[in-house]
Amino acid sequence: MNDQVLIDKAKASLGDRVEITNPAPRRIFIRVKADDLLAAVGWLKNEAGFTHLSTISGVDLGQSFEILYHFANNFICVTIRTEISRDHPLLPSICELIPGAVLYERELQDMFGIVVQNIPDGRPLVLPDDWPSGNFPLRKDWKYERPPEVIPGGKK
Amino acid sequence: MKFQIPIGPQHPALKEPIGLRMTVEGEVIRDADIRLGYNHRGLEKLAEQKTWIQNIYLTERICGICSHSHTTCYVQGVEKLMELEPPKRGLYIRTLVAELERIHSHMLWLGVAGHEAGFDSFFMYTWRDREIVMDILETISGNRVHYGINTIGGVRRDLDEQQIKHILDSLEILRKRSEYYKNLGTNEPSFVARLAGVGYLSKEDAIALCAVGPTLRASGVPMDVRKDDPYAVYDEIPFEVCTADTCDVLGRTVVRIKELFQCYNIIEYLLKNLPAGPVAVRAPRRAKPNEVVSRYEAPRGENIHYIKSNGTDKPERLKVRAPTLGNYAATIKMLKNGFIADVPLIFAAIDPCICCGERAVSLVDARTGQEKIISMNALKNLSLKVTAGKARKREAEWPL
Repeated sequence: MNDQVLIDKAKASLGDRVEITNPAPRRIFIRVKADDLLAAVGWLKNEAGFTHLSTISGVDLGQSFEILYHFANNFICVTIRTEISRDHPLLPSICELIPGAVLYERELQDMFGIVVQNIPDGRPLVLPDDWPSGNFPLRKDWKYERPPEVIPGGKK
Repeated sequence: MKFQIPIGPQHPALKEPIGLRMTVEGEVIRDADIRLGYNHRGLEKLAEQKTWIQNIYLTERICGICSHSHTTCYVQGVEKLMELEPPKRGLYIRTLVAELERIHSHMLWLGVAGHEAGFDSFFMYTWRDREIVMDILETISGNRVHYGINTIGGVRRDLDEQQIKHILDSLEILRKRSEYYKNLGTNEPSFVARLAGVGYLSKEDAIALCAVGPTLRASGVPMDVRKDDPYAVYDEIPFEVCTADTCDVLGRTVVRIKELFQCYNIIEYLLKNLPAGPVAVRAPRRAKPNEVVSRYEAPRGENIHYIKSNGTDKPERLKVRAPTLGNYAATIKMLKNGFIADVPLIFAAIDPCICCGERAVSLVDARTGQEKIISMNALKNLSLKVTAGKARKREAEWPL
């Protein structure tokens, strides 16, 4: 399988709803709408045979969040990207199709405050138990302020 | 009667703090749950505030064992963003260090596996041999752990004739000593029997749960980034992807031993075909707005960095997924229906950085809430007792 074969297949199956780019050899980016995400992932897994999800990356674009699903097989690395609004960060879970995605989706919830719908296990994963709610570190407007250090019994 | 056993966040079998909670029925684990977050360092956020060059040294400190893996993955992504073409000699040296790192990581793992299985002489043999590799790394880079050899556009240090000769001589010793690992099955049938059938992960599960590296290859899936998506100079080096089909810890051991021999061949090829010329090119300070997905086969499996630039001297986003995270979902599957006694071995098998401390596991009785403290040694002895004399284990064969 080479890049062009997969691009042709994707165009034939997914139609005009998607935008496909091929910036480098063995790298394909497919942009889909959030509503079409499950259909695109389903196509990639069942028709194109991409079963390995490498990871899910989130990017804060300011007005919206961009979510990138990096898939790989023995030949190509395909990235499906979608954008969701910052005010209503809702994302469908792909765990029904790819069970191994659950850890990455939990990470997204923790770091960006994205609500993943139908996630089989939505508990916090990467942040500590006593992390204050409503703090999502990878959002661009989140700034860390180190609390002033108090030495017990030290000078006032 | 069901019990819940917490393992971690501080535990000898897990060098990184991680919380595991096993629901057990007698000796058998029925359910396992994983909790991260005890060691969150905010590294991805920090990377957005550092320059491209500073980030090389930041990514190097993600992990001690695969420090070169993370920098190479990051650096080759940034080189694509900056449209740089590193010189051939630089790429050869980068690959050489990568393979040396793979040898030392696999030897460390073999030793730990031997230790967890109650075969401590093997642990001492492999760690003795690992010192040879550490010495080579020290002669090349000046350091044993964080080599600091990568830079954007190539590598920071060149090799001279004397160093090449030293590496080739040491390689001979390593090859000779590794013969023992290869014949391990015939020499040590009890070790093979201890590993066989432990931590079973079927091929279908390994694929569905997105396992990576030797864990995936031991379940019979020939996936290796070096072959599938060649980076650096792997497209011109002859080597084989090593797999096993036993789907258990024995398979993971076999895959790593086979890979050791591949590494020796790769290193010999690299040194004998080392091209002349410079080792690095000058890199610009800024990168145009773009994005790149960089993949790398670390000793533990696929490592992936997603890097996005915005035209300044700092990245807009650096997403890192280290191989161990990719293997956690599969680990839960491996633990299920296994024995408590096998927990150290199964966990060791994905290679999540292990220290050899002497701490305690507390067994909580779910009904009475009573805790029973059991030392790691007692747990290990239990593990040896439980697995003794199982028919399928006696029939296990060494495939090398």
